[in-house]
Amino acid sequence: MRRFLLRLANLAGGGKAERELAREIEGHLTLLQENFERRGLPPEEARLAAKREYGGIEQAKELHRAERSFVWVEQFFKDVRYGWINLLRNPGFTLVAVTALALGIGVNATIFGIYNAVALKQLPVADPGRVVRLERWFERDWRGDIQYNFAYPEYQYLREHNSVFSGLTAASFEVPVMASIGREEVAEHLAGHAVSANYFADLGVPTRIGRTFLPDEDRIPGANPVVVLSDEFWQRKFHGDPNILGQTIKLNGLAYTMIGVAPEKFTGTDVMPTRCDFWAPLSMIDQLDAAFGPMEEWRDATAHPQFEILARLKDGVAREKAQAETELLMRQYLSGYREINRTKSITLQRTAYFGNTEDPRFQASVAGVLMVVSLVLLVACANVANMLLARGAMRQREISVRMALGASRARIIGQLLTESVLLALLGGAAGLLLSVWASKLLWTSVSGIFEGFQGLRTDLDVSADGHVFLYGFALALVTGVVFGLAPALQFTKPDLNTAIKQEGAAFGARLSRSKLRGLLLGAQVAVSVLLLMTGGELISRLVSSGTSDPGFQTRDTYFLTTNGDPAKAQVTGRNLRERLEALPELSAVSMGTAPMMGTYSPWMKAGKLDRQTLASYASDGYLDALGIALLRGRSFTRQETNRGAPVAVISESTARSFWGDADALGRHFSLDLQFQNKFTDFEVIGIARDVRFANIAMIDPLHVYLPADGSQLRSAGALVFRIPGNREKAIGAVQSAVGSVDASLLPGMAIFNVEDGPLATQRNLIRVTETFAGVLTLLSLTLAGVGIYGVMSFLVSHRTREIGIRMALGATSSTVLRGVMAQGLRPVLAGTLIGFGASAALDSLIRAVVAIPGSTNLLQSTFGDLSLYVELALVLFVAALACVVPARRAMRVDPMVALRYE
Amino acid sequence: MPSDDRMVVLQGTLDLIILRTLESMGQQHAYAIATRLQQVSDDLLHLNQGTLYPALVRLEQQGRIKGTWGKTESNREAKFYAITKAGEKALAEETARWRRMSGLVEKLLSEGA
Repeated sequence: MRRFLLRLANLAGGGKAERELAREIEGHLTLLQENFERRGLPPEEARLAAKREYGGIEQAKELHRAERSFVWVEQFFKDVRYGWINLLRNPGFTLVAVTALALGIGVNATIFGIYNAVALKQLPVADPGRVVRLERWFERDWRGDIQYNFAYPEYQYLREHNSVFSGLTAASFEVPVMASIGREEVAEHLAGHAVSANYFADLGVPTRIGRTFLPDEDRIPGANPVVVLSDEFWQRKFHGDPNILGQTIKLNGLAYTMIGVAPEKFTGTDVMPTRCDFWAPLSMIDQLDAAFGPMEEWRDATAHPQFEILARLKDGVAREKAQAETELLMRQYLSGYREINRTKSITLQRTAYFGNTEDPRFQASVAGVLMVVSLVLLVACANVANMLLARGAMRQREISVRMALGASRARIIGQLLTESVLLALLGGAAGLLLSVWASKLLWTSVSGIFEGFQGLRTDLDVSADGHVFLYGFALALVTGVVFGLAPALQFTKPDLNTAIKQEGAAFGARLSRSKLRGLLLGAQVAVSVLLLMTGGELISRLVSSGTSDPGFQTRDTYFLTTNGDPAKAQVTGRNLRERLEALPELSAVSMGTAPMMGTYSPWMKAGKLDRQTLASYASDGYLDALGIALLRGRSFTRQETNRGAPVAVISESTARSFWGDADALGRHFSLDLQFQNKFTDFEVIGIARDVRFANIAMIDPLHVYLPADGSQLRSAGALVFRIPGNREKAIGAVQSAVGSVDASLLPGMAIFNVEDGPLATQRNLIRVTETFAGVLTLLSLTLAGVGIYGVMSFLVSHRTREIGIRMALGATSSTVLRGVMAQGLRPVLAGTLIGFGASAALDSLIRAVVAIPGSTNLLQSTFGDLSLYVELALVLFVAALACVVPARRAMRVDPMVALRYE
Repeated sequence: MPSDDRMVVLQGTLDLIILRTLESMGQQHAYAIATRLQQVSDDLLHLNQGTLYPALVRLEQQGRIKGTWGKTESNREAKFYAITKAGEKALAEETARWRRMSGLVEKLLSEGA
């Protein structure tokens, strides 16, 4: 240990030790010399004899160094210093290379940063490594949020019987309420969570001011109207005023005392991190959310899985053990119940901000995106490698001399790699800075989509943390080796003589590596063009689907969703419809599924065919309200709607794919409505025109409309109507009409315009993807430009001497220029052609693989697109420019200077 | 060049030899140590004098010897090494181990015959 420290110390103060060693050796040699002189040798010879007796001085020094300290570390520092000097000596090259790498690493770090925030970062609770989120797995593979739903009795059972958790907390999913403060007239929509009283205490979340819930505050139903506010809401509404503690806020008409404010970082634990305004004790949930139904129902039945469970592991208990016990307890508990879909197993998940991040499908899509962006990085690497190669021609001589002087090949490769890693680290640092900013931007646009989508206000901290920095660092390290290795191996190829001579060789020297460089340049152009074409194609496809017509009325079509007691949904729905029909401001009032929001996909059987179809509910008048034309047959009558008759209207694509050219009217099919393998029979009474009901990007491949009897009002349906005139007035009238039917519906009610709501959301999603593809395309274009320019100008400037001599011999500038262009542009042209061909091949492959019936529009050809040719022309222009600028510079050089140029 | 009957110092024994030399002769500089080694071995030991230095720095870092700058009889500057308490202890242990080891090897060789 002591020795290790001393060696370390010698690393730092190597100079002193080195001087002492020299002194000591000198002394030793002198003594030896004196000895030889005494034996009668003349001083000169005595000195030589002394040296012989001593052995190799430098070798001994090197051994001493190795013994004294860690030689490789010393060498490494020397390499770094040398590399740094080299980079500073060529600021132009360094700048270009760092820029290329920064873009490449930046875009990768950005994507990883988002992934990190979504799936890797942990909730801001005390010791988050010991806190787990319970997730259940179903026998029939239901995935998504539903895996985090637990019933209250399940929670209670686990809490009472487990021996592995030091705390078990329950939190409801988002509860929407209407809030008013003080004497304010206008009520405001807020969202909060009802949580068990130990929620804050067991998660280890202190309050910013005030207190959290007392242990017994969730015992007696309705008895403790207190709330803890979120910091965001406290700042927004009360401007951070601490005096609000003890005052009240009215939620759904009931006054709650504000007892505390949560810390700024803590924004809730929901698997979909939505913005949360407050937390209330679990016992207040009936008052907060009418949809929960009477207390005895959700308290005592497993049929209402409404809570997320977070648990803290006891000290010293491993997660596997806790998981095994939880699973066992749940099995014991559930053995007495018949579940709709049996719970197969329970897992304890680490507490990431989002749920389901371990889902392989999610992982796969993340991997896909990362692969695309690493392609960009690859182009950047090729760029820099190529520039290094071009530059290497100039360094060849230096390297050869060093090798001739006895430096080992490994030592020189190490030194060159150190230099390229240094370059990559610079690029990585710049890229990380870039990504910090880009992640924010990307997340803002993504969360904008979430917000448009069912009004989810997400709240996620995407700032970079250690993971992101580590990722960027590792990426830079790998990058440095990837682009540095090939040139380093090339330069150190052991044929010293030719290399030393070559640099000074006569003019017209075709550099031996020019073939490799041309190949790399061509390949790089090919990859860039491939990215460019594919990206451009993706964009124009998105543009065409983003602007496409959904096929039904969206502009003045509205729908209204509520969140009432499910048991009363059928009655409520009919009452609402009757009341709204009476309003003169509305027309075409009907009931049915909200387009682009509420569809689902049951299995459909007819004859031998068995496929998953889109299904939605429609009342009489629904197809008219949306303006979906009937091609044959008829729509539902009110009577059929009210009794939920076994009849259906199907889309023309559905008719075609199930019955071909035969008449589908009067045919029968069956649907597995509840996903329980119980099929219900329906008769086809009408055929409707194809629309893009669920996804603006494609026409529904299959779609059946079923009669809406009103019971779907909560789960998948809504009231649909048109507002031909003034919308504010009409919406006001709708609100008071709903209030007069049932005032408890108001907090959970929402009115959407199809155009501004879900359609805009989908278009936004397309726009963001478009922008993303655009940025990637632009990036690869920039990189291609930078790379081509860098390599070409190096190549041409290397011919300065040759050009000078040619000019001196009387060549005209145009002949020289033509020669340079012909040589330089050849690989670029070849690369362009290859890239073009490859993207055409890729395009037809995509067409062959992702053929979606009926969605011809999505796969329209883009090779007629002008913008692509403009981009291609730009690539060629950059290449030409990169030839011309240095060539002109070379031509202006005085021949005498050129001859002396080295 | 080492002739055939000159021996190369056995791996790991150089430290032991240096410690022993310093113990019996007191404070010495590297040249004197080298000379002494050659004398004692009747020039049978082949030693590049430069190879002493790595061993010296290792021993010094291990705290078994201590070096101080001083003057030789001919008034030359040199670094003098002296054995420390820890060095004496290590020498005793190493000597005992060496004896056991060489005894064992000796035994094996004679029995094998």
